Amino acid sequence: MSNNQISTSTLPKSKIGRRKWAKPAVYAGLVFIIALLPVFLSSVYILHILILTFIYIIAAVSMRTITTSGQFPLAHAAFMGIGAYLAGMASKWLGWSPWLTIPMAALATAVVGVLVGYPFARLRALYYAMGSLFFGIGVVQIIYAGGVWTGGYSGFTAIPPLFPFGTPKVSYYYFFLGLALVSIIALYRFEFSRIGTNLKAIAQSHLVASSVGINEGWYRVLAVGVGCFFVGLAGAGYAHYNSVLSPASFGFMATLWLAMYVLIGGIGSFAGPIIGTAILVLMPEFSRDLKIYSPFISALMLGIVVYLMPQGLVSLPRLVRSWYLERRKEKKIAQVS
Amino acid sequence: MELIVATSTNVLILSAMYILVALGFAFLFNMLGILNLAHGAIYMIGGYIGLAFITALGLNQWVALILTAIIVGAFGIFLEKFCFRPFVGDFNRIIMICVVITVVLQTGVNIIAGTQVLSLPPFIAGVLRTEHFSISYERIATFAIGAALLGIIIWFVNRTRWGQQMQAISQDIEGASLQGINVHRITALACFMGCALAAIAGCLVGAYLCLGPFMGDFMLLKVLMLVFLAGIGSISGIFIAGLVLGCLDSILPLLISGAASDAIAVAIVVILLLFRPQGFFGHEA
Repeated sequence: MSNNQISTSTLPKSKIGRRKWAKPAVYAGLVFIIALLPVFLSSVYILHILILTFIYIIAAVSMRTITTSGQFPLAHAAFMGIGAYLAGMASKWLGWSPWLTIPMAALATAVVGVLVGYPFARLRALYYAMGSLFFGIGVVQIIYAGGVWTGGYSGFTAIPPLFPFGTPKVSYYYFFLGLALVSIIALYRFEFSRIGTNLKAIAQSHLVASSVGINEGWYRVLAVGVGCFFVGLAGAGYAHYNSVLSPASFGFMATLWLAMYVLIGGIGSFAGPIIGTAILVLMPEFSRDLKIYSPFISALMLGIVVYLMPQGLVSLPRLVRSWYLERRKEKKIAQVS
Repeated sequence: MELIVATSTNVLILSAMYILVALGFAFLFNMLGILNLAHGAIYMIGGYIGLAFITALGLNQWVALILTAIIVGAFGIFLEKFCFRPFVGDFNRIIMICVVITVVLQTGVNIIAGTQVLSLPPFIAGVLRTEHFSISYERIATFAIGAALLGIIIWFVNRTRWGQQMQAISQDIEGASLQGINVHRITALACFMGCALAAIAGCLVGAYLCLGPFMGDFMLLKVLMLVFLAGIGSISGIFIAGLVLGCLDSILPLLISGAASDAIAVAIVVILLLFRPQGFFGHEA
């Protein structure tokens, strides 16, 4: 460790500066390319898929934020549903502007998350995952039972759209791109702040963490609250974008797929859920000609990741590099002998 | 009288089916710590294989039931060897592989059989009529098969050599293998039994109610509730929790209509879980 520090401090100043700016520059370039995409893509359908990708990226990244505290939330799609239905109900029945309902619904989802997270902080590991799963099922059943207020089985329709009717999809595209960027940056700052470090300490050992003065219950509830705020934001945005909601899209399988978005990318790194969501949402769309067979594509990709990349897709470059080095070493040995 | 008899048979049949499927889940979960989220899909495929045997091949129903159990059980051994054993102890990858299995089975059934609701022909036709109530033989048969299987499982787990080896593995896997128990063989046996039980339950429910590609999701939720309400590591707790869930699911719809009764049943399970975070008869994970 100390060796490393000496070597960096002896580097010329210009080189340190270049390293410091290299990564943000790459990310800024990527964002720039994504922002320019609508100029080249004329298809409304592809824009729609990209917008959905942005929404699910917010959901997946916020789900990972909760998992850093050692809790595996299997109610996350249900929280997205809470945000979506609250925003939809507030704008349809109370006539609030979508610009008001989206932040309000996100806040309300965070409050619900905290209220639920507080008793659930008693549960650990698998029991937490299962308790939250059952909570999510309960939420979906309540939406089904909501009758006229939530639309029940036939779905919640005619939610006022965010932009006036007839606005091109491009404006939604930039709105959700901005929302996703803000959420990602906020959650990144949260994860690498002091609070985020405390959460990781709790995940490693709740006993050691509480013995050094980290209030376990408080921090776990905080993580759930922050995660739920952003997933509520995504859900509320989805409600005003899609203007039709169906309870089934927030149920058990939806939560499992959200977990898949996080896991396929790699739960151990911040970029994991972003990559995973992008791949799992976009890939079935490219194989749309296969129609009914397209779930097999997702299953195939999940299978490949499970068997070959234990750390998720993020670890792919590292795996390729180590495989390459191994092969070079073998070649050298073969040459020597 | 009619209502009481109908409700109590409902309770018994639902509980028996839940417990049948949950036992298979619990075997794997207790022994290897595998959260087999594909168990619902295996239960579903059991019903469809039984249907294929009866309608496509024209076999006798009871022969078809036994053949289905054996085939799905063999599939369970395959799953244990290639899908579960490499990932024991890795929660994330187990969830992923289970989703893969579920998606493959559901999509496969969807393509082959379509989404329309099918059902198996009844195992015993006819209705038993008495002075005060009438009850179809189908329900009696479903309950009788379920209860007989549960009795056999209890006897197997408690009294036979293999059953006791299963208990030893679920207590301590390393200690068990030090005592000369072939852990892989016993876990494969447990997986065979679990999948066969799920397949039989699938056939019975397919005859008693109906079959659909997504019927496994509902059953999986019930099984998860049951196993976690009972607590990890408890077989006898599953029976009590199964009865509780069966009562909730068949009595609540009489009092409150529609989805609200499901919501209340789930709420009761969540509250029970919050009171006893480690389940009612189990130990902490």
